[in-house]
Amino acid sequence: MTPQDLLQLLSQRQVRRLRVIENLLRGRKTVSTLYWGQRYGLLYLLGLDKALQRGALDQVAQTLVTQRLAAWTQDEQPQLRLTPAGHTQQQATTYYHPQTALTWPRVDLKLVTQRLFLAVQVVSQYAHHNVQYYPLMTDLATQQAVRQWFHQIKSTALAQMVLTALTHSLTQLPELTAMVTTAGLSGYQQPGQTTAQLARTYQESAWEIYLRRVDGVIQIATDARKRDHPLHPLLAPAWQTPVTRSAQATLAAVTTTSLSLDQVAQQRHIKPSTVREHLLEAAIMLPVTAVPYDRLLPQTTRQDLLAALPGALDDWEYMALTPELQARYDFFTFRLLAIWCGKQGEMA
Amino acid sequence: MMESLTASLKRGFGHTTFREGQQAALTALEQHQDTLAVLPTGAGKTLIYQLYGYRHAGCVLIVSPLLALMTDQVNRMRVAGFRRVAAITSLTSYAERQVILAHFADYQFLFLSPEMLAQPTMLAQVQQLRLSLLVIDEAHCIVQWGPDFRPEYLLLGAIRERLARPLTLMLTATADSATQHEIAKQLRTTPQIITESIDRPNIFLDVEAVANDAEKRERLLQLVSQLVFPGVVYFSSKQLASDMAQWLQEQTGLPIAAYHAGLSSEDRFKIQQQFMAGELAVICATSAFGMGIDKNDIRYVIHYHLPTDLGSYAQEMGRAGRDGQQSLAVLLSAPGDERLPLTLMEANRPDDTTIQRFYAHPQAFDSDDPGIALLTFYYQHGISLAAVQTLFTRREQERHHALAQMLAYAREPDCLRDRWLTAFGQADSTHTAKCCAPAKVPLDLAALGLKRTVQPAVNPVTLDWRARLETLFLSNN
Ligand SMILES: [Zn+2]
Repeated sequence: MTPQDLLQLLSQRQVRRLRVIENLLRGRKTVSTLYWGQRYGLLYLLGLDKALQRGALDQVAQTLVTQRLAAWTQDEQPQLRLTPAGHTQQQATTYYHPQTALTWPRVDLKLVTQRLFLAVQVVSQYAHHNVQYYPLMTDLATQQAVRQWFHQIKSTALAQMVLTALTHSLTQLPELTAMVTTAGLSGYQQPGQTTAQLARTYQESAWEIYLRRVDGVIQIATDARKRDHPLHPLLAPAWQTPVTRSAQATLAAVTTTSLSLDQVAQQRHIKPSTVREHLLEAAIMLPVTAVPYDRLLPQTTRQDLLAALPGALDDWEYMALTPELQARYDFFTFRLLAIWCGKQGEMA
Repeated sequence: MMESLTASLKRGFGHTTFREGQQAALTALEQHQDTLAVLPTGAGKTLIYQLYGYRHAGCVLIVSPLLALMTDQVNRMRVAGFRRVAAITSLTSYAERQVILAHFADYQFLFLSPEMLAQPTMLAQVQQLRLSLLVIDEAHCIVQWGPDFRPEYLLLGAIRERLARPLTLMLTATADSATQHEIAKQLRTTPQIITESIDRPNIFLDVEAVANDAEKRERLLQLVSQLVFPGVVYFSSKQLASDMAQWLQEQTGLPIAAYHAGLSSEDRFKIQQQFMAGELAVICATSAFGMGIDKNDIRYVIHYHLPTDLGSYAQEMGRAGRDGQQSLAVLLSAPGDERLPLTLMEANRPDDTTIQRFYAHPQAFDSDDPGIALLTFYYQHGISLAAVQTLFTRREQERHHALAQMLAYAREPDCLRDRWLTAFGQADSTHTAKCCAPAKVPLDLAALGLKRTVQPAVNPVTLDWRARLETLFLSNN
């Protein structure tokens, strides 16, 4: 990621923690990362660069600071805010905004990319009656899934069906995004271009090209959710609920019984604090209707806390509450209220 | 009666003649003789065990130290029509391993990394197999100390005993007689040794002396601008390979890409396939590139840094001119170039004090350090402090000797080829103008017919994405 890519992820009105951005990219799903990821509107970054090293963005951020486009704030964690010059530059740059970003946390990107690319290669070679070629290097599970899919669906019409489906998906995206996605595919007599090569050709950063490609892939995966799509059997399993299995189970126990949270913990053999983390994770990642807010945040609780908290959500601090309020309401309740308030804003 | 080797070659592989060395090795194996084949890169070493496996029931077990090479070899064999092929390495996922183990007895060819084979549970599984042949690939790794060095290779002698001494084929591209002797000793066998001239007469050898880094870069640019492509430039670091690929591309306008272990497997696949398809003029690579590349028309190989020994140099520059056409190997040499390999050598080797302290308190050390990992290995296998010290001292002497030979090549005033072949006990004294150009002799590209005369075509027309999708999926016939 270049300084210009990071510039797009910062804001002038909101101070942002570098570690949160880094952890989102690395796919670290702690409640704190998810909460702030949502506050920043950056949840789509989740797991986009799993190989990113810890601290890898420090130097990139420092470059922005040196260029006076961003400034560190005084705090225990490295936090950044755009300067007016940084804001001006951000607004003046045309930068790619992925169209399908909202759904990204719900797709297993690695799975869908590997399956799609191998399937395209297999169908392309098949269409050209070529059986001797080097397959893309993928894990055995991908190879098996694609082989099984191919043997079930193989027909003379398959290539045309896939062509029609992909064309339909890519037509919905900007031309350059369609171009980048297509040029990255490998098949008969087309090795495919790397992200770095496409970045040079189209004079964009490698990260921006990558965002375009993810957009293309997810658009295809979205269309493949329809049962009559030729890639449906292969790509539909990539869709998942954005919360962990364990958190789903906790949420189910809370919504379908009248057990207290501590009783749920006992029943599920997990720590009471884990139950609360699961609920916060679910609250952040799922629609507002999926979580029983009325039960977890009674009207009086909301009124009590809201009366004591500042208007701007990002200025809320649990430690700034009076000791009395802290004694009455735990951090879980405080954070859940913040999530709920945030979701109200989203809906408005 | 069994059909002749040539008949099998025709029926199974569609070829009519063997290459030098292949037939000799196969004949020895058919007579149930353990065989050490020292054949240059590109001599078709893999065909030897493929054909043997094709002719005999049971499993051919191939032990190879290079993970990337193994995966590539498995892919290649599948492409060639062998279905019952699998590899298990430390990179193989648990699930994948289970699938392979469930069908273990069905495989015709199994590739295992030495550390996998050294695991008792794996060894027990392998003992159940009916082995037709044990292949030790890159057998020089048994004696060579370097990034490829696998201490597990030292256990192969004992492992071979545990497997009831199956018929064994040892393969290497680079082994002088001392190395050959050591390989045989480690594997506790007296093999028939098949060697073949390592000379590559169609590769013109050239050393270019430059004064410093800046001059070296300029000379590289000149060469890449003038030479007929495709070519490969080797660097000792990933970063430099990437940076120089970009710089050369900007300077020359040629399609140039970097290839190294830091790229994703998808990118490596694409760069490799682009190069094979002739879409790239030059690859800027680290030593990760080359294994498993069968491109016959590489016209030149340039080394930007001094390799650590003549064996690996010969292996890398030997990737040029497999088609027998005139080709070129250039070594760019600046004063002080030996410092880098020396530093790497020292960084890789624990010193005497460390070895002693380790043996006193083995638990107190961090086994993430490769040197310590090696010591841990020796310690756990009951090798004494004195033996380890001797081992390290001997290896260090070997490495210094190898580097000295490499330097002597770079500084050779008369005949580079003679210097190279003599180091491998294959003297050659027929220097001609078509043979080599040591540092003081200017390089005449035109005389070699390697000077580019036509301007390279501009980048191919970029298709609109719809058209590109159509060419992917629609066949013209
Ligand atoms: Zn000569």
